Amino acid sequence: MEQLLDLSLLNSTIRMVTPILLAALGGALCARVGLFNVGLEGLILIGAFSAIVGNHFTGSLLLAILFAVLCVVLFSLLFAYITIDLKANEIVVGIALNFLATGLTTFALRTIFDVKGAFYDKNMEGLPSIDLPIMGDVPVVGTILSGHSPLVYLAFGLVFVLHIYLFKTVSGFRLLAAGENLTAAKSLGMKVRRTQYGAILVCGLLCGLAGAQLSLGQVTMFSEGMTAGRGFIALVAMMLGQSNPFGVMGASLLFGFMDALSIRLQGFSIPTHFTLMLPYVMTIAAMFFFRDKSYLQLAQRGGGGSR
Amino acid sequence: MRTKELAFALLHPLLAVCVGLLAGALAIWVVGASVIETYAELWKGAFGSFYFFTNTLTRATPIILIGLGVALAFRAGFFNLGAEGQMVLGAVSAALTALYLPGPGWVKLIAALLAGFLAGGLWSILAGWLDAAFRLNLLITTLLMNYIAALFAGYLVTEPFKDTSGSAAMAQTPMIDNTVWLPKLFSGMSLHAGFLIAVTAAILLYLMIRSSSFGYEVRVLGYNPSFAAYGGIRRTRVMLWSMLISGGLAGLAGTVEVLGMQYRYIDGALTAPGYAWTGLMATLLANSHPLGTAAAGILLAALETGAMGVERNTEVPLEIASVIQAVLILFVSVKFSYSFWKRKKGRGSHGTTA
Repeated sequence: MEQLLDLSLLNSTIRMVTPILLAALGGALCARVGLFNVGLEGLILIGAFSAIVGNHFTGSLLLAILFAVLCVVLFSLLFAYITIDLKANEIVVGIALNFLATGLTTFALRTIFDVKGAFYDKNMEGLPSIDLPIMGDVPVVGTILSGHSPLVYLAFGLVFVLHIYLFKTVSGFRLLAAGENLTAAKSLGMKVRRTQYGAILVCGLLCGLAGAQLSLGQVTMFSEGMTAGRGFIALVAMMLGQSNPFGVMGASLLFGFMDALSIRLQGFSIPTHFTLMLPYVMTIAAMFFFRDKSYLQLAQRGGGGSR
Repeated sequence: MRTKELAFALLHPLLAVCVGLLAGALAIWVVGASVIETYAELWKGAFGSFYFFTNTLTRATPIILIGLGVALAFRAGFFNLGAEGQMVLGAVSAALTALYLPGPGWVKLIAALLAGFLAGGLWSILAGWLDAAFRLNLLITTLLMNYIAALFAGYLVTEPFKDTSGSAAMAQTPMIDNTVWLPKLFSGMSLHAGFLIAVTAAILLYLMIRSSSFGYEVRVLGYNPSFAAYGGIRRTRVMLWSMLISGGLAGLAGTVEVLGMQYRYIDGALTAPGYAWTGLMATLLANSHPLGTAAAGILLAALETGAMGVERNTEVPLEIASVIQAVLILFVSVKFSYSFWKRKKGRGSHGTTA
């Protein structure tokens, strides 16, 4: 048991949680303006792939991340246009975008790198790990918090920023109002359409970062469908956290912990198939314990909920 | 008026197909290949000869069955995104039944078909029950259960039921006895009796939705849940039944693949081609009409088999098919022809509210 639960497990939890947290925060913003974004999975995948492409061709990590963000923002512009202006069902659009992301990344993988399945370049550098100056020296806390990529710190910082934005600023209140009652917000002369666009584009930005962390954060590689349901887990994290930044962070940490634990458990005599199930089983179990009706209404507004 | 409505109903998917092909052309152009040549190869690969045509129908078989299942759930107003898991569990149950049940071949065959249907159906009904009893969002549970089902089936064929006879260490069950195989429809071709099952299922589902009382309840529940409740339709009962049939059809899709094509359960052989997702797309394309779903299933399968021909004969990769499919679905979800027109009209008369 001691082998299983040590401090480095918590350290890897924080690393694992970052893509989920970033995407879930993006999803939460969309949810707050009344759009249920099922396309998170596809957005992260595009981000992961374009980060690798950017890194390969520019050799600069910063440009790679910017390129990933740019690609995903463009991609989410498509989501915004089709759902907001063409009034398509956002669940269907989200699902279609996931398909499109899978198809496009695999297609591009074949045409750009001429490989099937995965692209790995040992010369390519991943995101640097930052050792925190003072915190890093504190024994327990330091082991957990130090030595992560800048995106990890950014993600956790964003939780605070988003919380302040949503609940302490006027513009944040407007955003909440747009999601609460679209028609009422409109009748007050708010630029609802612009708010919705803004939320979706920021969601794209966050998913781009999530993808970059996924493909450049640990090992610098891209493999087909490497998101493996993280976008959907982020969706659940968003629902469990009730689109509240700190709630989302808590829920994401739970899943990150399971993710890290499932990898750790593979060292034991439990069949890997069962350890890999853990995050998904836990997600369903978590829905069971933390279920709340508010997200159901949200999903229903999208027309895709089950009731 | 009716012909006008029908024209609109058909115009819409056709327009989406055009946009999809246009996006495909763009992708081909980016790769630097000839668009016309590639599309000619696509056509040849899908319908070029009787052999290729039967290949397309073979690939369409599981897609149609899954599509029908999803269509029924859609009709009742539920998103069943768990077809993949349901299919995999159906396939592995059918394979194990065919392998280990004693008795003559035809008994095993029927038992395997039933087992496949039931395994898929029960896995699906579990998600339905979680929704009905504990209000867990069906969209998410069905999705997550895919991963669990695939991993569980993977475990079954890597540990207890692994084929140890061959030299290759593939994760698969032993070969099923050939008395339990679904017969081929033409000798030397891949098309098997599973296709007939799929077509029969499409017709049965069409008749059921159109003229049975259960079909009526499904439709009302899907169109207007409050009216359904007012009319005394028991939501939970209709939901569980439609989830059972929905998942069962997905399970059957896996079953006919095992009994008609592969003759064993091979880990990943059903998930890798993405049958489940193509089935879902077929449903979306056909707007949940059972016969339309069958036609859309054949169309999407043709894109996939055609793309294999494209990959054999040109520089364009196979994945062109998934790009075309995804764009197609994206634009079928947009009621663009119609809503554009409607919105313009609305603006003229009394401004826009929504």
